[in-house]
Amino acid sequence: MPRRRHRTGWLRMGSLAAFTVVFVGFAIAAPGFLVVGNIANVVDQSAILGVLAFGMTVVIIGGGGDVITGGIDLSLAGNLGLSAAVFAVLSQSGSGDVLAVVAALASGVAVGFVNAFAVVRLRILPLLATLAVMNICAGVELVLTHNMVVQARSSLLSRLAGDGPFGLPVLAYLLLAIAFVLVLAVQCSPTGLRLYAVGGHREAARAAGLAVERHVGGSYLVSGLCGGIGGVFSAALLNGSTPGSGEMLLSIVVAALLGSVFSRRLVPTIAGTLLAVLFIGFLINGFQLINVSSYWVSGVEGVLILFVVGTTSLVRREMS
Amino acid sequence: MTAPPSVTSAVRVEALAVRGLVKTFGGVRALDGANLTVATGTIHGLVGQNGAGKSTLIKIIAGIYRPDAGVITIRGRPVDHLTPARVTEHGIHMIHQDRLLVPTFTVAEALFLGQEPRRGALPVIDRRALRSRAREALHRIFDIDLSPDALVGELTTAQQQIVQITRALLNQPAMLVLDEPTAALVRRDAERLLATLLRLRDQGLTILYISHYLAEIERLCDQVTVLRNGVDVGTVDPRQTSTTGLISMMIARDVGDMFPRRKAGAGAPALIAQALSQQDAFSDISLSVRHGEIVGLTGLVGSGAKELARCLFGVTTPDQGTISVDGQTLRPGDPAAAVAAGVAMVPEDRRGHGVALRLSVRENTTLAGLKRFSPFGLLNRKAEHRETDRLIRALAIRTPDGNSPVRDLSGGNQQKVVLAKWLSCQSSVFVLDEPTVGVDIGAKVEIYRLIADLAVDGAAILLVSSDLMELSGMADRILVMYRGRIAAELLSRETDADTLMRFVTTGRGGEADADAA
Amino acid sequence: MTNSWLRAGAPPKPRDLLRFGPVIGFVGLFVFFSLATSTFLSAANLRSVLVNHFSILGIASLGMTLVIAAGGIDLSIGTAMDMASLGFIEVLAVGGSTMAALATGVAAALAVGVVNAVLVARLRITPFLATLGTLFIGQSVEQLATGGGQPIYLVAGHPLAIFNAIGTGIVADVPVALWIAAGAIAGFFVLLGWTRLGRRVVVLGAGPGVARYTGLPVRRDTALVFIAAAGICGVAGIVSSATIRSYVPLAGNAYLLDAIGATFIGTTLGRDGRPRIAGTLLGVLLLSIVKNGLLLIGWTFEWQQVGTGILIFLVLAVSFGHRREA
Repeated sequence: MPRRRHRTGWLRMGSLAAFTVVFVGFAIAAPGFLVVGNIANVVDQSAILGVLAFGMTVVIIGGGGDVITGGIDLSLAGNLGLSAAVFAVLSQSGSGDVLAVVAALASGVAVGFVNAFAVVRLRILPLLATLAVMNICAGVELVLTHNMVVQARSSLLSRLAGDGPFGLPVLAYLLLAIAFVLVLAVQCSPTGLRLYAVGGHREAARAAGLAVERHVGGSYLVSGLCGGIGGVFSAALLNGSTPGSGEMLLSIVVAALLGSVFSRRLVPTIAGTLLAVLFIGFLINGFQLINVSSYWVSGVEGVLILFVVGTTSLVRREMS
Repeated sequence: MTAPPSVTSAVRVEALAVRGLVKTFGGVRALDGANLTVATGTIHGLVGQNGAGKSTLIKIIAGIYRPDAGVITIRGRPVDHLTPARVTEHGIHMIHQDRLLVPTFTVAEALFLGQEPRRGALPVIDRRALRSRAREALHRIFDIDLSPDALVGELTTAQQQIVQITRALLNQPAMLVLDEPTAALVRRDAERLLATLLRLRDQGLTILYISHYLAEIERLCDQVTVLRNGVDVGTVDPRQTSTTGLISMMIARDVGDMFPRRKAGAGAPALIAQALSQQDAFSDISLSVRHGEIVGLTGLVGSGAKELARCLFGVTTPDQGTISVDGQTLRPGDPAAAVAAGVAMVPEDRRGHGVALRLSVRENTTLAGLKRFSPFGLLNRKAEHRETDRLIRALAIRTPDGNSPVRDLSGGNQQKVVLAKWLSCQSSVFVLDEPTVGVDIGAKVEIYRLIADLAVDGAAILLVSSDLMELSGMADRILVMYRGRIAAELLSRETDADTLMRFVTTGRGGEADADAA
Repeated sequence: MTNSWLRAGAPPKPRDLLRFGPVIGFVGLFVFFSLATSTFLSAANLRSVLVNHFSILGIASLGMTLVIAAGGIDLSIGTAMDMASLGFIEVLAVGGSTMAALATGVAAALAVGVVNAVLVARLRITPFLATLGTLFIGQSVEQLATGGGQPIYLVAGHPLAIFNAIGTGIVADVPVALWIAAGAIAGFFVLLGWTRLGRRVVVLGAGPGVARYTGLPVRRDTALVFIAAAGICGVAGIVSSATIRSYVPLAGNAYLLDAIGATFIGTTLGRDGRPRIAGTLLGVLLLSIVKNGLLLIGWTFEWQQVGTGILIFLVLAVSFGHRREA
């Protein structure tokens, strides 16, 4: 048993050390890296990925770590594109900000509801259900935008894309605020603990009298809402809706899975996901600063995911 | 406990009573009118051989199965349509054999899941209260200082058991049902658990205690009910009854001609294991099985018998020791090498490891000997069909034809398919792990016939079983494992069932005394 | 449980009819499109459906069917297609011989399969995540090789017989692409249904525990499955790039969902829910005529995507509903 705890600690320390090494390496190699403005910029750029990865994290917590039979929401990126399109189209057609935001969030939650229904009621494997929903989202987005950039300008968007207190970007503040709320809900509330129980050992959760289906379904609704919020963020950052949001899907999965190495229990956590998102953000930013092609990014993410999954499964095997 | 359930010694209501429970699975009667009465404030034991109906009875009480007939009353009131949640509402908490705990939770979280202390009215868990309450509960009930922050997955089996029992006792239940709680515990931990249970009983808790360890039953229980073939054959005070008395109640005498007669074989040694050890399972095991011989291997859960069987086939790797077949040493941990050397395995988990339920009888039957029907890697379907039909006839497998999915077959016929699989590749060493569990009596007799025929034809057979009648009837010699070691080697014809049972439950031959765990 | 032969003679339950949903759907849609449009039933259109939609998706879906039959999933089939396509076109672009181009293409696809095989069979990473990782890395490789995703076109005057052969060639009145698809289908049909390896693969998918407890070479078979799947997807990639005479980076991923969808449509056909080549091909046909037919009745590309998405969703719902009963 102590051997195992040792390994887990080693993995966590190793991940934090890797984070630090990358950070320090860039700080030395790229003079502009360790400047408040740049760091704020990275947090700002990470806002969309972060919010979506939070949604994925919640779904994985409630569904369990097994990617095939457990929880996963592949529709998140498509949801983001759809919600951004809803926002942009409404905004362009002259609707007010309030209506546009409400509609974007509602479309996100609606997507989450379809997922929840498919997984809980129809009992389709989450992997397949959300994959199909992803395609439907992408199709509806195309229908709304005709595969073109839909410009949207509004006071809300410019305020979201602008700077807040201390000259730091508003989206950075919002990301941290959402993270804070979710940490409270997932890590500190009884509901969060029960969600972990549902994902960690379904029979134990049932034996403890928890409403398993409601928790699982709820996790997809939260994820859908995150997709909607991400859509509004994306509309703000890109001044409207642009095609190609689907490319973000893989980064979302990586961030949510990578985050689990930052927890003592090797489970996904909101804080761990935030760290992972920032890690990826700094990586991309650092590559740009030292003039390494961004084409390396997805490859590095791929290696990261394999490394994380390989080592955690190794540690898990030793534990059992 | 702050407020033990009030018990007036004058009138003792029954905490739980079941009358005439009947439960049938696919034509096999698991319970056939069983009765059980548990008096409030006592520890009531429940014993019986494997297949006697204990686990079915417990699952009905737990609300997992619904009985076909019979009445359950809890504290004098009849209840029906039990569900696990309702059973809990009635104040009965179950501790099942498999631990229902979330491995990534801390001890404190696992204890209070579903009733977490909050900070005032806020939906936020009060971590400090959670920790201190957990520490207090563990201390009060078990008198141990287990860190509330330790992760459940990192605890020992005994500690997990303690967490589970503590969790059940948090809500001050009226009754606790424990199913084989000490099976996976080392002796010292088991002792501690028994002492705690006695103390809880004295505080007024009612306990239904299921165990194979008769010494534990004698030490712990006020009353013990013996189940046999789905019926309760008697309820006695274990302190007034000898171990031999209990054992003879557990064993049926009317076996008749279930077992085929056969001369003990004595060919050349086929399967030889030398000084095999595996951590936490068994240590220093040496055994040999000759051609034509049937050797029984038995032991309680946790004795290492099952683990040894799996290791012999190569599904798991031993830490030390060697396995050889017909003089040829096997590569450890490689089932393919074992199969190539002629070893066959009939696993205990028939539906998970024995047959692929979704596939047809034919696809399952020819699986091990596939090479014979596939020259150059191409299947000769005609030859495959012929061989399947031959085996269906030879083993009297009841199926419409070879193309039916195995799922549609009864348990006994599924088991015959597993045997047929190995006959199609002409194995010479058979490791049979509980080959007749969940099999109806007719198919059982047929399977015994098959096993005996195999031995007569020169196969070496290691029969792993917890059915002592089966062992006495089939095996030439019986190896009894107890807590990881071979405790005895007995010749079946010189050993009666009572003696065998005593070795299995106590690890030694004399009248059991203080060997509680 | 018992008396299955009694049940076999019983009249089919309504739920059993769900099994024929894809068949009924296919026939229904076929009739509908034939009536609704004047062009659908024309020889030219049907040929275009078979060549442009059916052949490439059909070949790629063979690989997916094999992997799913073995109990896994392969998200990197698009990567294998792209790598083959990249290798094939690149070698031709620098003036290599046709044989060298074909060999490079297939080898590149097999390399993807080997990576998956090592990750799944040796490092025991679950297929989903392993192939997801491969997909990521492949994306980087493609971007790096093409300066961020610039397609490689071969100039129209490129005097290459190979394009004429694969892309537009016709032998015995049948387009060469279809001949290749037919060959691949026949090969995989034999592999999955009539070979020892195929049988072991089926057992691996239906009962991994059984495979282990029968002493089958589980790891080796797993590795072979991923390599074979990537190889056949490489063929799909080559056919695809020969048809369009170019390599378009990341084009293969478009086939991923359709391949998964087609395979699962196919599983609803059998009572045992097992992936079968014939079932998958029906799924591919269904998706093909839906895409073509929706286009012909005037649905735009966008609505086609919504339509196919909903179709796959419904099929999954029926498929899992059916399985729950069993």
